[in-house]
Amino acid sequence: MTDSRTSSHPAPTEEEQAARPVGTYPPTQELLDAPDDPQARAEREAQLREAWKTPRGWRYLSAVNNTEVGAWYALSAFGFMLCAGVLALLIRVQLAVPDNDFLSADRFNQFFTMHGSAMMFLFAVPMFEAISILLLPAFLGARDMPFPRLSAYGYWCFLIGGSFVLGSVLFNVAPKSGWFMYPPLATEQEGIGPDIWLLGLSFIEIASIAAAVELIVGVIKCRPPGMRINIMPLYAWYVLVVGVMILFAFPPLIAGDFLFELQRSLDWPFFDPDRGGDPMLWQHLFWIFGHPEVYIVFLPSIAIAAMVVPTASQRPIVGYSWIVLSAVGVGFLSFGLWVHHMFTTGLPSLSLGFFSAASQAVVIPTGVQIFAFVATLMVGRVKMIQPMLWIAGALAIFTMGGLTGVMVAIAPFDWQVHDTYFIVAHLHYTLFGGLVFPLLGGVYYFYPFFTKRMMSDRLGRISFWTTFIGFNVCFLPMHLTGLMGMPRRVASYSSDMGWDWLNLLSSVGSFIVATGILIFAWDLVRPKRDQPLAPRNPWNGGTLEWSHDVPAEAWGSRSVPYVSSRYPLWEDDKFLERLDGGRFYIPDAPEGKRETLVTSAVDAEPQGALPITGPAWCTIWAAAFTGGAFILPVFKLYWLASLSGAGAVACVVYWLWTATAQVPKAPDRDVGLGLRLPVYVTGFRAPGWWAMFITMLGDATAFASIVFGVFFFWTARPDFPPEGAAHADATLIALSALGFVLAWGATITAREVNRRGRQRAARALVGAGVLCTLGAAGAMGLALWLPGMAPSSHAYPATMYALGVWVGAHSGAGVVMLLYCLAGSWAGKLTPRYDADLVNTTLFWHFLCLMGLVTALMMGVFPRLAS
Amino acid sequence: MVLAPTVWAFHFVFCYAVMSVACIKLGAPDIARLGVAALTVIALGIIGFLGWRAWVQWNFRPGDNYKHDRPTESQRREFLGHGGFLLSIVSAVGVIFDALPIFIIESCI
Amino acid sequence: MTGRAVWISLPLLAGCSGVQSVLDPAGRDAQVLAELFWVMLAGAVVLWLLVNGLILYVTRIAPQPLSRRGAEALIIGGGIIFPAVVLAGLLVYGLSEMPKQRAEGAGLTLRVTGHQFWWRVEYWPDGADAPILAANEVRLPTGQRSEIKLNAERVIHSFWIPALGGKTDMIPGRETRMSLEPEKPGTYRGQCTEFCGESHAYMAFGAVVMSPEAFDAWLEREAADAVAPETQKARRGQQIFLSEGCGGCHQIRGTPADAQVGPDLTHLAGRTTLAAGILPMSHSALRDWIADPEAFKPGVEMPGYGHLSDDDIGALATYLMSLK
Repeated sequence: MTDSRTSSHPAPTEEEQAARPVGTYPPTQELLDAPDDPQARAEREAQLREAWKTPRGWRYLSAVNNTEVGAWYALSAFGFMLCAGVLALLIRVQLAVPDNDFLSADRFNQFFTMHGSAMMFLFAVPMFEAISILLLPAFLGARDMPFPRLSAYGYWCFLIGGSFVLGSVLFNVAPKSGWFMYPPLATEQEGIGPDIWLLGLSFIEIASIAAAVELIVGVIKCRPPGMRINIMPLYAWYVLVVGVMILFAFPPLIAGDFLFELQRSLDWPFFDPDRGGDPMLWQHLFWIFGHPEVYIVFLPSIAIAAMVVPTASQRPIVGYSWIVLSAVGVGFLSFGLWVHHMFTTGLPSLSLGFFSAASQAVVIPTGVQIFAFVATLMVGRVKMIQPMLWIAGALAIFTMGGLTGVMVAIAPFDWQVHDTYFIVAHLHYTLFGGLVFPLLGGVYYFYPFFTKRMMSDRLGRISFWTTFIGFNVCFLPMHLTGLMGMPRRVASYSSDMGWDWLNLLSSVGSFIVATGILIFAWDLVRPKRDQPLAPRNPWNGGTLEWSHDVPAEAWGSRSVPYVSSRYPLWEDDKFLERLDGGRFYIPDAPEGKRETLVTSAVDAEPQGALPITGPAWCTIWAAAFTGGAFILPVFKLYWLASLSGAGAVACVVYWLWTATAQVPKAPDRDVGLGLRLPVYVTGFRAPGWWAMFITMLGDATAFASIVFGVFFFWTARPDFPPEGAAHADATLIALSALGFVLAWGATITAREVNRRGRQRAARALVGAGVLCTLGAAGAMGLALWLPGMAPSSHAYPATMYALGVWVGAHSGAGVVMLLYCLAGSWAGKLTPRYDADLVNTTLFWHFLCLMGLVTALMMGVFPRLAS
Repeated sequence: MVLAPTVWAFHFVFCYAVMSVACIKLGAPDIARLGVAALTVIALGIIGFLGWRAWVQWNFRPGDNYKHDRPTESQRREFLGHGGFLLSIVSAVGVIFDALPIFIIESCI
Repeated sequence: MTGRAVWISLPLLAGCSGVQSVLDPAGRDAQVLAELFWVMLAGAVVLWLLVNGLILYVTRIAPQPLSRRGAEALIIGGGIIFPAVVLAGLLVYGLSEMPKQRAEGAGLTLRVTGHQFWWRVEYWPDGADAPILAANEVRLPTGQRSEIKLNAERVIHSFWIPALGGKTDMIPGRETRMSLEPEKPGTYRGQCTEFCGESHAYMAFGAVVMSPEAFDAWLEREAADAVAPETQKARRGQQIFLSEGCGGCHQIRGTPADAQVGPDLTHLAGRTTLAAGILPMSHSALRDWIADPEAFKPGVEMPGYGHLSDDDIGALATYLMSLK
């Protein structure tokens, strides 16, 4: 999971004192004004160019730089979007006239399922991550993302998984129970469709989480010196908020997928009401993910708007604090709305009222956001540049979606329109207004940054108006179609219903939208070699991304700047000159390594200049094997899948071993402006530590979702646990808990002992940790197995086993990490001073120990209290 | 800065749990309503306190432009105070909204 | 409907009518919600015009700088105070409507069970200890709130009669409930609104609202056994029905056919539609259906009887059409 693993312990030791920055910070005016030597400058540029060289020819695929990976990512996501769009057009053809037989009901169901799934999982979220991987380093004046190989790994996973899931449509075996996959329909469906959905998309979700981790760490740790959180670009704020939302929203779905797939392959009845299960559990887990998801795709687009609006108005954003507040507020509140997708499931009125209220409350921060933009437009003098046109169109469409959103948040009204075309209209208004339009505007805005050439203004305007008009022709009538009683997801309808002309109109509109999107796509990909290069800052923006060189250089930012305002290009007229002159930080690459500056989380004070990973094939292999581990079980090839999984672990270990947390030649280096920074940092100063911490937060959320499942069954089902049911063996559970605590203790002690230079003792402790873990996991397994709990007999033993499987798998990971440290210690990669691997493993162990103890409580104590 | 919305989140989770247990397990709407009312009072108290602290940290001065866009530690502190104060307001509105149903809906059905 | 709402909605109603329209209400709950919709729509239109008019004004018509102070006032007023007040009002109204629409019914209780892809309907008049069984059509009396209990057999469905009120899901392993208070007699239509499989689109039902007297009379007839076939052809149809094993799935009370797997056919011809709301109740539609149900409802469990001669299928249809 973690690249560039470096970290340290909070309490500074003597060793650590040496690993602190030395010299002047912040830079004095004198240092900033120092003249540069043209010859040294050329030399440094040559060094940097060499270090950041993009591989050529077929080796190009091994590139990991954010500009390459981000571009592949964005283009793939756009390609998937076009495919999902074609499915939408086929759906509209089918519905254009009543009683149509253009598509069979079965095909139609596959198509609408894949349209929704692909748009959400293969377009909306990955597109945000792609654009952010492309842009974030530039906003932060950084050279690259903190873990470039992780981005590449995530991309290849996404490509493999996405092609697999979407490809199933071509073979007529696609999932066909809706993108929400409600059991029992989806659990009972024959064939491999649901497995494709569950395994293929879980795979992509994990890649999404990996990207989210990387983006969060990028915002927290890779800001340029001086960029305190009160002056970081709003886009970075949004990335932070959305990243954290992904971290807490996706795991419940992954937990749901986990239970779902266990039911499908092993017949553990989590969702089968005949055996103590409950289909409603899936709905909860799905929508705890599903509603934040809506905001996860909406906020990044607002973030683009937050970058375009100040440029269009040529003045700083009004109400920076307000926008930050609303982003954070929306991030929180969006987790309290999920039941509004379940208003009709017969939950108690009190609960419904409660979620209805939360759904209304979220309007407030959203409204603040929109009014902050309007206010900025009013304060400035607006140039209607073409990207701004898209943003204005987006606001028009989104406000409409928001207003119908207020209507459906009123539970009784929702009882009428739920699952009708009114909702189809509402959600497309929010998603087109809140995602597609700002995104296309953003592409027009950032295109010169990506490629150093401009897209066509004329084509852009034609595309905008075609899409805008087509969209409204398509979706405005759908409100009425829904109110006239047309349910969603119907493959056909009778001409007696009076829905004919409305549907025909929508179908015509859908093709107009498609035309608009195609014009855009043509403008995007048409050859522009003969076109002149774009100016460096074509829209006269104020933020760092417009400081990149024209023509493009792979190094990103020539030197990592010292930043002292929100819009440095507007407010500091010497800024560009200093940047280009390499008169800020790390303007060179003396060892030929790719490096990035690491700064403190809140005030962005420099803490280290860390090497980051370069081009590699092992990431592609790791992705391919991971893909095998997820995809092969669809075809019941469990042994091959296990082998593939082992291959993936081997590739990842190879990648970490050869490229991360390497013992450096010299402890620190001169980064320029009179400052020396360590090249190896540990603990919460290190990106690797943060990555582990953040990953484990997400992981713990998935675990918590399974625990939620236990409590859910307990409240919802009178027979949980069933009377007279066998419980897990108490003694063994107690032993298991003890084992986890001992293993945890051994790991922590090993870290301390190692730090004091007693490596032998540390190795012995790590070995003991491995044994304790194996013992603890074994005891837990026996505790379930000995009393004869049969997981396929009832939801109660099934959930206990699911917890056991979860903890068992994590124990396995814990053992691998400990062995990795042991090997590192023997090989001289892990030393008393350079102990990042062990520090990060300890961090993992805090979480694992907690999971082990909670599981012991859930298995050993809770059922006995509850029954 | 995120403490106030965190209080909202806990209030939300606890209210949901109290409602589910009281309505589904016990069938006693009044327990649910009383429980939620108590949680709401506690949550508003904590949010009020956090809001007051954030207000102090914001160091609001009439006539100030409070853009907080300078690269100094005090501006960063005030920015976080400002954001925290605004989030307290939003969180308080959220908590009050969430508690409205107990005054209007008297039964579990 | 209040006078004002009539006035607002009259010109629009023409385009909104229909047997399955939310905007053409025939029951108390639907009425309230339709009025609520018109009010919310008016508010939404005004707000949309205000916000977007403002954007248009500042970007296109009179790009005139506003003071910072004014801008902040706009954010606070437009972003916080205004929505908080308006939404609180709306929320209070919405919440207060919820218990009313979910109030327990008095008198008649219906139990509807969703199957793939049809509805089993049981009528439990006040004090009854056994239900009157029917299928694929719901009849309700005006002037009272009827309780409706909902179950599902294998997968989730959702029960919705737009003209009368909101929908509620039917979930396997749970019993959900709702209640409806019809006001205007007439024939309406309901449809399944939770995706339930291949023929989700073909799972509808007739919904007939009757005056209480008419309803009671109807229910009495419905409770009776099926009428015996009177014509030669119908008698032959009945024999075919029994010999072809139709009774292995269907019940026709008063005959040896008493299975509960498929829809009850005791008073089939008395219903307004055939095959769960997708075909008219006519002799020819019934023939086509019996010959090849899959053609109308893919994934249906009923096998086709295309192997019978046209004559036999005709006789079968004649018999079934006699079951008023």
